[in-house]
Parts: sequence; C-alpha cells; structure tokens
Amino acid sequence: MKNRLKVLRAERDWSQADLADRLEVSRQTVNALETGKYDPSLPLAFKIARLFGQPIETIFDDGEA
Amino acid sequence: MGKLFNKSPAVRRYMRRYIPAMAVYVAVIFGVSWAFNRFAPTGPLAWLLALAPAVPILFVIAALGLYLKEEADEFVRGMMIESMLWGIGVIMAVMTVWGFLELYAKAPHLSAFWAFPLFCIAMGVAQQFVRRRYR
Repeated sequence: MKNRLKVLRAERDWSQADLADRLEVSRQTVNALETGKYDPSLPLAFKIARLFGQPIETIFDDGEA
Repeated sequence: MGKLFNKSPAVRRYMRRYIPAMAVYVAVIFGVSWAFNRFAPTGPLAWLLALAPAVPILFVIAALGLYLKEEADEFVRGMMIESMLWGIGVIMAVMTVWGFLELYAKAPHLSAFWAFPLFCIAMGVAQQFVRRRYR
C-alpha cells in the first residue's frame, strides 16, 4: 500500500530511527512501512495517524478511492 | 538474531531463556552419555535418563512460543512466524523424503531428535531470505 510516511517524516526532520523510537518499533519496521512492503495492523496505523496528527486515509492510500 | 533486533526486549528475554537451557542441555547430554557408558542402566531408570536431554529442548521450544507472544513489534513478529513456517515446512519435507528412503531404499536411520535442530537451521536460513525480501 502506498503511503506518505517518508514525506511526513522528512517534514519533521526525523530519521528512520527517530520515527521507530516514537512508534516503539524497530528501524527495520519503519523501513518496510515506508517502502510499502509491509502494511501495518489497524492499531499501528492508528498510532502512526495519531503521531502525525492526521487521519489514516490521508497517510495511507489503498488505491481504491 | 542480528543487530537490528538488539533493542527488542522480547529477544533479550528469549536469549535469557535460551542460553541457560542450552547450557543445561550440554551438561545433561554429557552426564547422560557418561551414565549410559558407565552403568548401562535399564528399565524405568533408563527411560528417565533418556528423557532428561529432551527437557531443556522442550524448554527452548516453549521459549520460542513465548517470544512470539512477547514480541511487541508486529512486523518483526510476522517475519519470525514466516521463518518458523519455513522451518516447519522444510522439516516435514525432509522427514517425509527420508522416511521413504529408509523404508524402501535402506537409507541409514535418521533419529527423530534431529527434527528440532533441523527446524532451527531451516528457520535460521529462512530468516535471512525473509529479511532480505523486506529490505
């Protein structure tokens, strides 16, 4: 699934490791999320949305809409 | 389990269970081998002694299950589960193939206790491939 994680992270000047710490996941997980190779669970998606203060659907795009 | 996993408390807890269990396993293997060579026990005592090395291995299997339960990083947990499934698939394939080779082609006997070490090796190899795929 496409997402804007990399852009949102860059806007805040965070490294992958910074984002990983904030989400309490590994840096490897952040990388897999950003490259769209791994789609997060609903709880993790909510956590990401809350961290960036945006709704889930503005961060993730399932290509259906 | 690799550098990227160092932070996970679940991995650290797993290692704290795995390392002592393996130390016990090595000690028990030496002790039991020595006892069988020396005293050639029979009957219930032989059964009990023969079971002793399995106990720490069962503990390690349980520790693997606990690791999955305790790993808080869902992606890491998912990769681990995928690797374990590969391990299970490989061990079932090896045992099936080898079983028929033994039955019909007089292949040398492969003792069933090899199942777990072979599973671990297959899982370890699978981990490398699974991790690479998500890089």
